Amino acid sequence: MYAAWTVKHKPRTISEVVGNEEAFQKLVSWINSWNKGIPKKRAAFLYGPPGVGKTVAVEALAHDLKMELVEKNASDYRTAEAVKRFAGLASQYATLFGDKRMILLDELDGITGTADRGGVREVIETIKNARCPVVLIANNAYDPRFSTLRKYCLLVEFKKPTILQVMKHLKKVCAIEEIMADERALRLIAERSGRDVRSAVNDLQALAQGRRQLAYEDVAWLAERDRKEVIFNVLRTIFYARDCAEAKRAIDTADVDPDMLFQWVYENAPYQLTDARDLAKAMEALARADVYRGRIRATQDWALLRYVFDLMTAGVALSRQRTKPSGWVPFRFPERVRWLARSKQEREMQKLIGMKIRRRMHVSSVQAAKEILPYIRVIFEDNAEMAAGIAKWLDLDEDMIRYIAGNESQVKAIIKNLGS
Amino acid sequence: MSYEMWAEKYRPKSLGEMVNQKEIVERLKSFVKAKNIPHCIFAGPPGTGKTTGALCLAHDFYGEGYREHLMELNASDERGINVVRETVKTFARTRSVGEIPFKIMILDEADNMTGDAQQALRRTMERFTETCRFILICNYSGKIIEPIQSRCAPFRFTYLSREDQYAYLRHVIQKENVKMLDEGLNAIFEVCGGDLRRAVNTLQAAASAGKPINADTVYSVVGRANPADVRNMIEVAMKGDFVGAREKLREMILKYGLAGSDIIRQIHIEIFRFNIPERWKIKLADTIGEIDFRLVQGADEEVQLSALLARLTEAGYEMKRGV
Repeated sequence: MYAAWTVKHKPRTISEVVGNEEAFQKLVSWINSWNKGIPKKRAAFLYGPPGVGKTVAVEALAHDLKMELVEKNASDYRTAEAVKRFAGLASQYATLFGDKRMILLDELDGITGTADRGGVREVIETIKNARCPVVLIANNAYDPRFSTLRKYCLLVEFKKPTILQVMKHLKKVCAIEEIMADERALRLIAERSGRDVRSAVNDLQALAQGRRQLAYEDVAWLAERDRKEVIFNVLRTIFYARDCAEAKRAIDTADVDPDMLFQWVYENAPYQLTDARDLAKAMEALARADVYRGRIRATQDWALLRYVFDLMTAGVALSRQRTKPSGWVPFRFPERVRWLARSKQEREMQKLIGMKIRRRMHVSSVQAAKEILPYIRVIFEDNAEMAAGIAKWLDLDEDMIRYIAGNESQVKAIIKNLGS
Repeated sequence: MSYEMWAEKYRPKSLGEMVNQKEIVERLKSFVKAKNIPHCIFAGPPGTGKTTGALCLAHDFYGEGYREHLMELNASDERGINVVRETVKTFARTRSVGEIPFKIMILDEADNMTGDAQQALRRTMERFTETCRFILICNYSGKIIEPIQSRCAPFRFTYLSREDQYAYLRHVIQKENVKMLDEGLNAIFEVCGGDLRRAVNTLQAAASAGKPINADTVYSVVGRANPADVRNMIEVAMKGDFVGAREKLREMILKYGLAGSDIIRQIHIEIFRFNIPERWKIKLADTIGEIDFRLVQGADEEVQLSALLARLTEAGYEMKRGV
């Protein structure tokens, strides 16, 4: 299975986080001040360029201070209504289990509205009423939309780490992955990343996964190009080959895991083949390759692999008929892998509730979460009495009820009904 | 109105109560009569009575105490094949002295097992055939390895007909004292197809508002329960933004956990509602059918549906050119 190293090797504790000591101290003393009562600023606003470890910092902090972290990112709260849904969470400091809670609103740049309208206003409202630390994260805190919001926040700037700090992190990853890496190779990757740790780790994975050694020569070609152009000759060969033989050679020279290569080709095809007809052909070739992968799974007949290769290389290459040449198009990291890492917390809560449903309804917890939970949610929003009955029948705890019902007054109504 | 999930409350207890899948039910009844059950595969889309069929079979087979002779495991929840093996071994040790010498293991979502786990399962099935019969439940029988398929009696469950679904819903409506307008009932079939579990859940959610249910109530419940908008995804694709459409697809599959079979069914319904030339509708239906077939065979949902989206983008382009 192919896991993104940025996720796999994410720092779990403060001691593992790269750089930004000053910002950390500021943040820790602010959080500690909560133990003496609610401080003047109930929110901290972390800002800085991508990949410098803002989110990771908060997660590590919550881990070290043993706080429950409720994480939400842009897709959860783009609009005012969506913010309201979980505002209730922020109104409590201690959870049912006595842990302290911290709310994290990540990717704030994606929110809609201004200080008097939409999502931003709701965030301000949430902060005003917050009884637990709220942390906001955005690339640019000085976006005019956030001007009012800033007044309620402790501003904490995250800066890019030094080249040496990035290298240190890469070394650690290499040690765990058991890769002998040349110091100069790591330095080059760190430099080329523009001191963005996340993208440095992505590049390292692309270059080193499955290898035992990483020499300077292996990465030297990075130096000749812009880092956006860090691509694999393989992809270039596949997307620009003129005949089958040339495209198929990509596999022999590739030295990458075929499943991973498939993901790369699948991700990048629409960006490389901009003519709709070409793209349809290429995606169909990939889909056919996938059919053969399925047949291999079912029959364990690995000889079929050659057809997978034919279709994902030559099949894609020969789809290029009408796409107009448009200069250099950068290759992209497979997004699908990143998607799986997102909204992890949400899925965990859904799983817990799914297990409860499963005990009653002969479905798996996964099925329960996707097929039954959405309807239970509607009932919880509309009918506190029936909701209480179902909560009792399923044996849901208060946190679960809160997660499902969303707004606090409805939660209270349901709990009241539970009593009677 | 009662305060538990109606889908469970009104689940049929005995084969005689099942409202659909007549041929399947007849075959299952013949097993009861013969006092013997082979290993079975129940394959088909969600909400068509696979689990219910298995539970009813066990009930009719062993009588009221059937729970003692039955074990339900779920391949996506239980920790792998070891749990299955251990459970079956325990079965074998506590072999029942009664008339019937074997127990039943229902293994749900069997198509989520890895190839290796399935190989191990196959050996377990062989070794313990005397003491345990398996009913494997899955959406796609194509994801089950061939050696297992060849050892099982296959049953293909299909979506319920409109009449069957109405009959069943009317029963629930009457028992629960729900005020339902005809248009509401039509709307439920329209949006749930023949997926009975979803239909009953939709009915209950709509009823929870406490007002007579019309078509709007139903659409509103469905909109709130399914944030993913298939129609919008098709529009985005046909307008030429394949990447945007693929992003929406990912959201549906990975964030909201929609099944590929559901998405493709909705695409099929929506295509016929679009304002596009008639002959294109049938052309696209053919493509959708091909992709649907591949999913049934066990291909990757996102990759296959992406190929369909790319075809929609192409179709949008060609329509604009007046082809």
